Amino acid sequence: MDPQSITITAEPLNVERCKFVVGVPVYNGGLRRFTAPHEAHGSPLAEALFAIPGAEVQEIIVSGNLVTVVKASTLPWQVLGKQIGAAIREALAGPVPAIAAKAEVAAGDVDDDTLYERVSRLFDEEVNPMVARHGGRVELIDVQDAVVMLRMAGGCQGCGMADVTLRQGIEGMLGQRVPEVKGIMDITDHTAGENPYFAASKK
Amino acid sequence: MRTPTSPPRRSNLPPLRVLLLLPTSTYRTTAFVEAARRLGAQLTVASERPSTFEAAQPDGLLTLDFQHPERAADAARRFATEHPIAGVVAVDDDTAVAQAAIAVALGLSGNPVAAARAARDKHQQRMLMSAAGVAVPQFSLQAIAADPRTLAATTRYPCVLKPLRLSASRGVIRANDSAEFVAAHSRLSRILTAPEFAGCGEWAEKFLVEDFVPGPEVALEGLLVSGRLHVLALFDKPDPLDGPFFEETIYVTPSRLPDAAQAAIAACAQEATRALGLVHGPIHAELRWNDKGAWLIELAARPIGGRCSAALRFTAGERGRGKGDVSLEEIVIRHALGMELPALERETDAAGVMMIPVPGAGVLRDVQGIDAAKRVSLIESVEITAHRGQELVPLPEGARYPGFIFARGDSPSVVETALRAAHAKLRFDVESPAT
Repeated sequence: MDPQSITITAEPLNVERCKFVVGVPVYNGGLRRFTAPHEAHGSPLAEALFAIPGAEVQEIIVSGNLVTVVKASTLPWQVLGKQIGAAIREALAGPVPAIAAKAEVAAGDVDDDTLYERVSRLFDEEVNPMVARHGGRVELIDVQDAVVMLRMAGGCQGCGMADVTLRQGIEGMLGQRVPEVKGIMDITDHTAGENPYFAASKK
Repeated sequence: MRTPTSPPRRSNLPPLRVLLLLPTSTYRTTAFVEAARRLGAQLTVASERPSTFEAAQPDGLLTLDFQHPERAADAARRFATEHPIAGVVAVDDDTAVAQAAIAVALGLSGNPVAAARAARDKHQQRMLMSAAGVAVPQFSLQAIAADPRTLAATTRYPCVLKPLRLSASRGVIRANDSAEFVAAHSRLSRILTAPEFAGCGEWAEKFLVEDFVPGPEVALEGLLVSGRLHVLALFDKPDPLDGPFFEETIYVTPSRLPDAAQAAIAACAQEATRALGLVHGPIHAELRWNDKGAWLIELAARPIGGRCSAALRFTAGERGRGKGDVSLEEIVIRHALGMELPALERETDAAGVMMIPVPGAGVLRDVQGIDAAKRVSLIESVEITAHRGQELVPLPEGARYPGFIFARGDSPSVVETALRAAHAKLRFDVESPAT
C-alpha cells in the first residue's frame, strides 16, 4: 500500500486534543492509550508521535482507525497535523504493526470488561437518573485501559455546566465507586447540542 | 518586570481547596475547571442553581445565592467548617460581590465588599472615580420612569444612555439629539422593564446619561496584587465603537497605541482601582484614548468575559520565557490560593479574538463555512457557542454571542486580518421572526 494514498482527516477537539481519522485501521485490538514515552516502546507510531519536536505530546489514544493526540504545546494543530499525519503514514508502512498488541491482564488487575460492567451499572442506576432531572443523558461508549469514554446528550449536550457535571459529578462518583477507573474522555460534540439545560450569556 | 509572589503557604499537605463561583449562565466553566485541575487544587463549584449531583458530591458542589452576598457568605462559612477553603474566585460581575463577602467571612484574601459593590454599579463607580479625579465621562443618574422629553431637553449631545449593571454593552445606546434620546430611552426602558429584570431592584429603575467620549477604545486585563495593578494584557478594539450601539467584536493584543498612551491608560486604570478600593484579584477595564488622555469608561472586578481569555497565554517564568503555557484562569486561581505566581507576562506572539457579531434577529438554523474559517492562516479555533434553534438577539437587547474566533500570529495586524478573513467565511442561516 502506498502510504501517501492513506487519507487522514484532523478533527481538533480543542487546542490540546485532536482526533485523526485514518482511512485504514491503525489498531484492531481494541483501544491502546499511551501517557508517557516509555509506554510507547514497541509501538512505532506512538514512539514517533512522542518524538515530534516541540509537540510536547502528553497522551495518545489509538482505537480502530482513530488516533487521538493530546499535547501541551501551544503550536497550532495546523502545524503539528502535518507531522502527525506523516508519522501515521510512515508507521503504517513499516515492517511491524504501528501499535503493538497490549499485554495480557495480570492476575489481580481489573480488566476493562469488568470495569465496563460496573461503570455501566453506575450510569444506569445513579448517574442517568440524576442528569435526567435536567433532561440530560450520559452514554457509556467504552472502557479501554481503564479509561471511560462517554458521550453526553439531551440537556447535557452543549450545556454551559457540562464540565461541572463531568468533573465534579461523574468523575467524582467514579472515583468513589469504581476507583480503578483512570480517567474519563468526553467525546461529545457539544457544539451540536440543540437543547442545552444551561446556555451561556455574554459575561 | 518583577514577579509578584505570595508567601509559600503549604508543604506536604493536602491540596488547597478553591471555591469557584460559577453562575450557570457563564461561558467560563471549562477554562476555570481545567485550570483548577492543572494546578492540582481541590475544587468546589458553587452555582446559583443546584447541580443534580450536589447530594452525591457534597464536597465538590454547592448552591449559593449570589444575589444576596451575605447569605452566600453564611452558606460558604458553614460549608468551610467541614471542607476548609483556601481561596475563592468569582468569574463575573454577579459573583464578584459574593466573592468579596465570602472572603471576608472566611478570612481570605479578597476585595472589601464595598469596593466590589461599587465596581458592580456603574453609577457608584462613576461617583467614586470622579471624586478621586479619575477621568470619566460627565454623567447624571436618571430614573427610567422620568419623562424622556424633559430629560432630552436638558442633555448635552452626543450622549450615551447606559444601564447601571448590564454587561457587554447591553442596553448602551448613543443619542446625538433629543429625538434620538427619546427613542433610545424607549428602547432602554423596554429592556429594563422586561421580565428578566423586573423586580431586580433599584438598579433596574435608573440609568446613566453620560457624555460620549470619542477616540479608540481598549480593554485592559489586569491583576491586583496587594493593591498594585499588574497589566496582563492591553487589547485594541479595532472596530470603531461610535454607536448607536456598542457591539464588541475584535480584541487584539498587544496594543498598537504608542507606549506613552499605554502607560497613561495603565495609570488611569490603577487610579480607578484605588478610587473604588479594589486591592485583590483580576480586573477588566474599558478605556478610551484621545487628545485629552485616557478615560475610564468601565471597570469590573472580574476577568475578561465570554471565552475571550483563550486568547491570553502567559509565560511560566524564566524557564518558559516567551512561550505561553499558563492560562489567565490559572493565574487567577493561583493568586486566590496564595500560590506563587508565574511571571505575569504575556507570550511574545500577538493574539486576538473576535466575538462573532449577531448576524441578525431570529432563530439560528445552521452555520456554514466553519471548516473554511478554521483553515484561514493563523486561525487557532472557531467556536460556535450558539446552538441550532437558539434565538439570536442583536444589541442592544441581546445577551449572547453566536461564537468566538481565535487567532495568533507575529503581529496584531496579521491577527486582525486573519480574524476578519475567518469571519467572512461564516454563513449564518437565521430564520427571521414572523412579522
